[in-house]
Amino acid sequence: MTAQEVRLCGLLLQEHFGEVVEKVGRNLLKSGTQNLRAIVHETGLSVDLVKKSLCVLMQHGACSFIQGRKGPGSPTEYKAHCDRMLRILRYPRYIYTAKTLYGDTGELIIEELLQRGHMTMSNTVKTVADRLTQSMDEGSSMDYGEVSSTFSKLVETHFLQRCPPAVGAGTTGSSQTANSTSAAPASSTAPTPESFPDCYRVPQVTLIGRSKRPLASEEGEDQRNAKKAKMDPETHGDEGIYWQVNFERFHQHFRDQTIISAVANKLDQTSSEIVRTMLRMSEVTTSSTAPCTKPLSANEIFRSLPSTYNIPRHILDQYLTLLVDDPMEFVGKAGESGGGMYIVNLNQALANLARATLESIVQERFGSRSARIFRLLLRKRHLEQKQVEDFAMIPAKEAKDMLYTLLSQNLVQLQEIPKTPDFAPSRTFYLYTVNQLPTARLLLQNCYKTVANLMERRLFEAKESKRLLEKSQRIEAILASLQASGAEPEQLTEVEEMITAPEKQQLDSLRLHVNKLDSAENQVDETIFLLESYISSSTKPTSFLNDVDGMWLERKAHFDLDDTARTLRHNGQKVERYTKETAGN
Amino acid sequence: MAGRGRGRRPFGTDPSISRGEGLPPGLQQPTPVFPVMEQKPLPLAGGEEAEYLLALKQDFRGVMKNLPFFIKPAAAQRDVQRYSDKYHSSEQTNSLTDWNLDWRRFPRELQVHIRRRVREGLAFSTMDSSVPVQKKKKKEEEEVLLKLECLQTLEKKEEHEQSSEEEEGGVKKKPEEEEGAEAEEEYDEEELEEVRGQQAWVRTTEALRV
Repeated sequence: MTAQEVRLCGLLLQEHFGEVVEKVGRNLLKSGTQNLRAIVHETGLSVDLVKKSLCVLMQHGACSFIQGRKGPGSPTEYKAHCDRMLRILRYPRYIYTAKTLYGDTGELIIEELLQRGHMTMSNTVKTVADRLTQSMDEGSSMDYGEVSSTFSKLVETHFLQRCPPAVGAGTTGSSQTANSTSAAPASSTAPTPESFPDCYRVPQVTLIGRSKRPLASEEGEDQRNAKKAKMDPETHGDEGIYWQVNFERFHQHFRDQTIISAVANKLDQTSSEIVRTMLRMSEVTTSSTAPCTKPLSANEIFRSLPSTYNIPRHILDQYLTLLVDDPMEFVGKAGESGGGMYIVNLNQALANLARATLESIVQERFGSRSARIFRLLLRKRHLEQKQVEDFAMIPAKEAKDMLYTLLSQNLVQLQEIPKTPDFAPSRTFYLYTVNQLPTARLLLQNCYKTVANLMERRLFEAKESKRLLEKSQRIEAILASLQASGAEPEQLTEVEEMITAPEKQQLDSLRLHVNKLDSAENQVDETIFLLESYISSSTKPTSFLNDVDGMWLERKAHFDLDDTARTLRHNGQKVERYTKETAGN
Repeated sequence: MAGRGRGRRPFGTDPSISRGEGLPPGLQQPTPVFPVMEQKPLPLAGGEEAEYLLALKQDFRGVMKNLPFFIKPAAAQRDVQRYSDKYHSSEQTNSLTDWNLDWRRFPRELQVHIRRRVREGLAFSTMDSSVPVQKKKKKEEEEVLLKLECLQTLEKKEEHEQSSEEEEGGVKKKPEEEEGAEAEEEYDEEELEEVRGQQAWVRTTEALRV
């Protein structure tokens, strides 16, 4: 948990759950695993508020509890999940994707589940049907069966998954997991939802009927009561089975979309369709952490192409050869049987996309010539100052300036290779180098900081004009009530005139600024997604460690040069001390 | 000695810089907060998708503020008691009653027991808690007045005996009066956190027991 991540999580929690939950969440993130008493003591809040905040965090999956970690009598300990909190930034993208894939019903299901954390299927279906009915015309209402079928489709394609059963919550859990709950406190890794066999099984839910349209004469008070879960005496056969959104599956989808659009931008529409077909065929056979898809033969691809694209077989072969030869290496050839076996290199594609992102960031911040130097160093690994000037075709003085600017921003590193044991500057090689993975991590932290800054600025702007916003809200409420009760146009214009013209201007400009900042947050999140996917895909072999350990292991991989330099320096110190001692004698 | 330390000095030890050039002048003050950018950033991507995402985001935030998951801290205490406090306090609902948790999935220690004191045959209510608090306040006042009368009679008896006991009685009366006033203040100022009310009740009974 870096400082920037903690700051961003704090802001997200504050916006969505309030300041109390933010304090508790921040404390948990900074201090790691803690029990209830310690949290109460450190945050200084009342016990009840802390309890409520922990319930809210656990409801949304941002926090989990472990019982009996230090033995059978030890108190329950709570642990916050930073990456889960950062997902809140991506909620609009998940909802929009569900809309494009499953229409309005799917969109509302995902939205309800994201708002509530986890819910049973029957509750979700009922709430979504009510919401759809409200937006439909008078007299028609939404059938529960339709919503249930969309829900089942979402589960089948793994966009929704069951929440893992409660581990040791003090009551007898479901019978199938009774064995695993006793083993869970002993294991160090939390069971993932996918480790349970029923993860994607839709339960038998008896939910027949249509949703009821709420009466139009209900006032706000009654609607608030309606939003509360009424003590429904009917159970629908799925008590205790809670569903949550499967973020990994959405991320896989986003990654596939990015690869397809990259191919479309670089080559053409037909090649992107071919890649889309290949990815669709391997959706079920490829796990989320696989470096590449299973090999598909050209015959299979030809058969599975969408019917709108009837290209002849030899053209398909030419396209595939073109894709394989492309320097971006999206598609690779894995064999010759079946007309050629082709795979999509997922990890390689992610690495290339991340590299393109890094290059474009450098280009936009420092100019195209610095970007040329950066690209050169990425390809040629280690170069001396003179070589950089020659290969980049930039005059010496300017090249030196640009290199030093990049160096001061930590985008370029310097590697010393000594010729002699003492690091005399005239007798040492100084090589410039760029390491893609650490640079990606650095820029990811920059992105987190950017989003946090954008959010703070937006909150600041809203706070500055708080009085004006409240006034405009009140006037809107008055207007709405007047219109509902059927007032004359003169009364309406009179109320509208309560806001003066300069105030209206101020409000408009405030709205524009807030929208721009919000939109910028969404776009930075796209970059965050790409960099996060690249980093997690390239540290896959050490996935049982967290990110910090992964970084340390990666530094070990670069030991060859550093290690040599360090040993030489150490030896040089020994030589110096010896010469001093002998000189003293 | 050159290159002995762990830090690298590429600038000073770069052989391409001649001795005569010297280092650039050092910074005398912190860098400006909004430095001038040579390269302006690209404009934001507009389009239908971006606007829809923006609308989704703002809607989501608005809805979250009204859900029971949004925990508002206790409102700031006003310097002066206002008449509208009586009506504002009834708008606040206890957020936990809106939201039916499945306690099988949560640790037992997080359960907040909203205990209502059943006093003198009061009904067990879940929503409006202003009524029991008012009655509790009246009971407290009666209790306090009763106690004060008893103590006064006690004092008069002890007056004749020792002067030190008189002092003690006087000291005892004062903290009790303070406690009585404090209990009233607490009711007027606090929000309807039932535990707070309970704590006040516990405090007054303990003080009175002294």
